[in-house]
Order: sequence, then structure tokens, then C-alpha cells
Amino acid sequence: MLAFTRTIEAERQSPATTALAIEGLRVEFPTVAGEPKVAIRDLDLAIRPGEILGLVGESGAGKTTLARSILNLPPSPGRISAGTVRFGGVDLLRLSERELQRRRGRDISMVVPNPRGELNPLLTVGEQIANIARVHLGKDRKAARAMALDMLRAVQISDPERRMNAYPHELSGGMAQRVVIAIALVCSPRFIISDDATSGLDVTVQAQILDLLRHLAQERDSAMLFITRDVGIAAHFCDRVAVIYGGEIMEIAPREGFFLAPRHPYTVMLLAAFSHNPRLRRAWTLPDARAGAVDPAVGCAYADRCPRAEAICRRVKPPLGELAAGHFARCHFPVERP
Amino acid sequence: MLGPTATPEAIASLRTNLGLDHSLPVQFWIYLRNLAHGDLGTSWQTTRPVLEDLIQRFPATLELVTLGLLVAVLIGVPLGLASAFKEKGIVARIANFYGLGAGALPDFWLALVLIFVFYTLLQWAPAPLGRIDLAVIPPPPVTGVLTIDTLLAGDWNAFRSAVAHLVLPVFTLGLVNAGAILKMTQSTMEKMLQSEFSRYEVLCGMPHNLVVRHALRNALPPIVTIISVLYGFLIGGAVLVEMVFSWGGAGQYAVQGVLNSDFYPVLGFVLFSAIFSLFVYLAVDLIYFAIDPRISH
Repeated sequence: MLAFTRTIEAERQSPATTALAIEGLRVEFPTVAGEPKVAIRDLDLAIRPGEILGLVGESGAGKTTLARSILNLPPSPGRISAGTVRFGGVDLLRLSERELQRRRGRDISMVVPNPRGELNPLLTVGEQIANIARVHLGKDRKAARAMALDMLRAVQISDPERRMNAYPHELSGGMAQRVVIAIALVCSPRFIISDDATSGLDVTVQAQILDLLRHLAQERDSAMLFITRDVGIAAHFCDRVAVIYGGEIMEIAPREGFFLAPRHPYTVMLLAAFSHNPRLRRAWTLPDARAGAVDPAVGCAYADRCPRAEAICRRVKPPLGELAAGHFARCHFPVERP
Repeated sequence: MLGPTATPEAIASLRTNLGLDHSLPVQFWIYLRNLAHGDLGTSWQTTRPVLEDLIQRFPATLELVTLGLLVAVLIGVPLGLASAFKEKGIVARIANFYGLGAGALPDFWLALVLIFVFYTLLQWAPAPLGRIDLAVIPPPPVTGVLTIDTLLAGDWNAFRSAVAHLVLPVFTLGLVNAGAILKMTQSTMEKMLQSEFSRYEVLCGMPHNLVVRHALRNALPPIVTIISVLYGFLIGGAVLVEMVFSWGGAGQYAVQGVLNSDFYPVLGFVLFSAIFSLFVYLAVDLIYFAIDPRISH
């Protein structure tokens, strides 16, 4: 079934038209019981050049694990046990640490949440941006500083000359987020991973940061994997949207198709949860979900919570089938188009 | 002081001379008043002013403790760093074992073992009798630190003798106290290397040595703290080592004072140590200030 998916993906997206292609990725976490817990299950995902692909899912669905595994840095003690991540003609998972180091932050960079904790507390903002330029672009101290200043201007930080010498603890959350974006974009990477980047911010600041991120990415023609828990943000921000549940892609579709005609019951439930329609929400939420009754290796990972689940859902894992042009859903009984 | 055959009159007159006929608060007040004039009292054992005694002996202790701590840092910090990088490497295992052992070893015992091996058996070290050979004439005291004074006097022979006498006690202190520094370095470094900012730097493709350097800078404050605490503590804490090597330092002076109910040396020593500790902590605060920009705001 996975082979089936992969053929479709491969036909539709030849290497020339993908910025980054994940195939058969499996990430496992060791458990005390011995049997490892699968956090990412044989996942396929391709991102086109210049595209913003939204990845929506609940906490624990595997979003961050996926993001870090792309850079071959799965969260400890996770381990990538299978799969490839093709980027620029090479498989990132087969590269040496040194080769990876050269690509991280230069070709693929990450925008992280909670930036004030992620920045080095003892270095000024200017130094931290300049360090990236020095390491990856081989700039000298002066040129790197100039680039850092330009980046601070680009991310629209007020009074950038003064902020160059500011320490992370002197910044507001929004400003720190802008600095992290500046760090991510200073090398004009071909691929950006944004991991829940705006989750800690006020709604108004959130909108500004998102506009900025999109603008800067477009300017550099960078593709982006935009991870979020907020379906509303995905609706405004992304070209395509994918839903992840239990480490598997449940549905992936262009934005309009995704929001106007969702096909997977889980997607409908997610959208209902974000809507203010209590009737819709009740209809698509199972109150007495018994998690763990279905083996996700065999059946559908969502079957426990799905109001449409039948016996076959627990026995046979549905393939990620193409239901409309570019619209895939992993379901035996997809929701009918309205 | 007067012996068993003292007459009651002699006892009474000595009591008056020592000020023991006053009440305790008054005695303390007199002590404070004298202290304000730089008079720390007189030791009846040495029959010399305590201030003079301490000024003569404190540099000896300071020299011993400072060099001992330096050795401890030179052993503890690199071992701690090495074991933090490779948590399961061979260096980490040696460091763990050593950290445990150093915590369990009493310094006077280690001193005796070192003397037995390097003086009695191998005869590499000089006899553990003071700071310089009895046959060597010590240089005129300038700083009181023998290694410096001998150099100032240009007396190479005396310098060599002073250094030779320092080796064993310094290594005793260094080896025992490196354990705490090692443990602190290792645990803070591990924490810093697993912290969010180190992880983020790895995500950004920073080379390993740069990540480590930044982590080390963040790990410095706790390491500096433990070193400073040890420094203040060792002024008095090195006394057993001083005893074993007949060092004649301030710690030994104070302990003899305690054993013989000679109170002024004890009080003077406490005062000296307190002032010394204050200076050490002041220096540490200044170092924090230089390391961490969050403090200066």
C-alpha cells in the first residue's frame, strides 16, 4: 500500500519539481517494555520548490519529530530506523555529520518556537546572526556583522543598530521570534522548516510575524514546511495542507480543497473543533474514544476515535488514495464531497 | 601560664593583666576597641602580637592553598569537560571513578601516602618538615610567599628548595579537591550541552567546537562558584595537610591556639579568613559580571 502511494507521488512529482522529498520515513522511540514506539510511521511527503506546505496535527502527533528528523536530529532518544530524505540530489539521512552540518542552517533552516529559550543568553543578537553568516558563508567579522544588521532590518526590528548589541533577555517574545527568523533566513536557504513558530505570541504579533515569514520566504524563493496546531493559521498561510495523526499523513490537499471539501473524518473533526459550531463539533467527535484498541501497524490509526469506523478499518490500513486532483486521504470511507 | 606552684597573688595579678576580671561583654568590648586600633591581642604561647604572627604565617597558607587549588582546577576542569563530551567514553569512566574516590579520600591520609611513596620509598621529595630545607637560609621576607621572595632575592638554591617542599602538599590538596570541581564541571557542561540553545546551535549547523565553546561559557558561573567556595574553605580546611607537612601556616597556628585555649590567635584567624573570603567573593561577583550580561542589568 505504501508502494502504491509512493508510485503516485513519484509520478506526479519528479525530482526536478520537488524541493524536498521524504520517503518511507520511520522514527522510533525505545520504550522500557522493549517494543519501540513508532513516532513517525513510513511517512511520505514531498514539498515543491517555493511552496508553503502546512502540516497540521495535535500535540504528540509527530510534528516536531518529523521536523527534526528532516535535519537528521530526531529528538532524543528517538532513532530514524528507515526512510530517505532527498534534498538537492542527496539523501540527508545518509550524509556524514560534517556534510549535514554544512547544510543545516545554510540550505535547510529551522524557525523554532520559544525563541527566547533557544537563543544563547550570553551572546548579543548581532553576534548570533553574524555567527551563522561566518560559519556558513565564510564571511569575515565585518561583513557578517553587516549582513546581520541587514537581516534585522529585513525582519523589521525597530532601531536595528541598537538591537544588534541587545541580549536575548532584553527582547520581547515577538522580537526574539524575529531574530530567530533572521537567523533562519540569513543564508537564504532553499528550504525552511517552521515548527510552531508563532504559538507563544499575541494574535496581532502572530499575524505580523507570519506575513513577514511568508514575504521573506517568497523573496528568496524558499520552500517551507509550516508546522502548526492552528488550523486557522494554515488556512491563511499555506499553499497545501497536510494532516498528521499518530505519525502518519491522513490527508493532504491544496488549500481550497482541504478547507472546502475535507475528505478524512479526522480533518473534519479538526476543522469542527476550530469552528464555533457546537452541532458540527459534537457530530464529529467521539466522546468515549478508547485509544490503543487498534494496532496502528495493522489498521487505521484513527479508527479508535472515528465515528465512521467499521470492522475493516481495524483490520486493514487504508492507503493514502487520490480522491481528487492532488487531494489524497487515508480512509476507507472518505467523507463525500459536499 | 604560671605553673602549678603559683601564688594566689600572682594569679590575681595575671587575671587583672589579661582583663579576665571584667564581665564577658566588657571583655568583648575591649577586644573590639583594640581591634579598631589594629591590635588583635597577644598570643600567650608565642608571646607575640597575633597580628604579627598571622602576617608571618598567612602567606604560607595562602601560597599552599592557591597552588593546590590551581592544580585542582587544572585536573578537574579538563577531566570534567572530557567526560561531558563523551558520557560513556573511557575518560568519562575514569573521571567518574576519580570523582568518587577524591570525595572519599581524607586529605591527611593521601598526604601520608604521598610522603611514604615519594619521600620514604623513592626519596624524590624532601622531608615533610616545613617550607624550606633547614640547611637553606630563607630569603628576607618581602611578601611572605617563599617562592616569590626567593626569586626576588635571586636565590635559586632557596627557590628550588621551596618549590620542592611545595610539591607534595600542593598535590595532596589538588588531587583531593579536584573531585568537586570535576563533578561540577561535568554536570553543568552536560546540562548546557543538552540545553535548548545548544540544541538550537546544532540545528543551525554550528560546528561542534563552537557549540562546545558557547556551552562552556554558559557553564562557567557554577564552576567559578565552586572554586571560590573551595578557596575560602581551604584557608582553614587545609590545616590537616599543614600539620602533616609541618607547614607552619595560619591554619596550624589557629589549631594550636584552640588546643591550648589561646583565644586571640583563634579570633584573629577567623577574622583573617573572613576578610579573605569576602575578597574572594567580591572577585567572583566581578567575574560573574564579566561573564553574564544578564547580571549587569
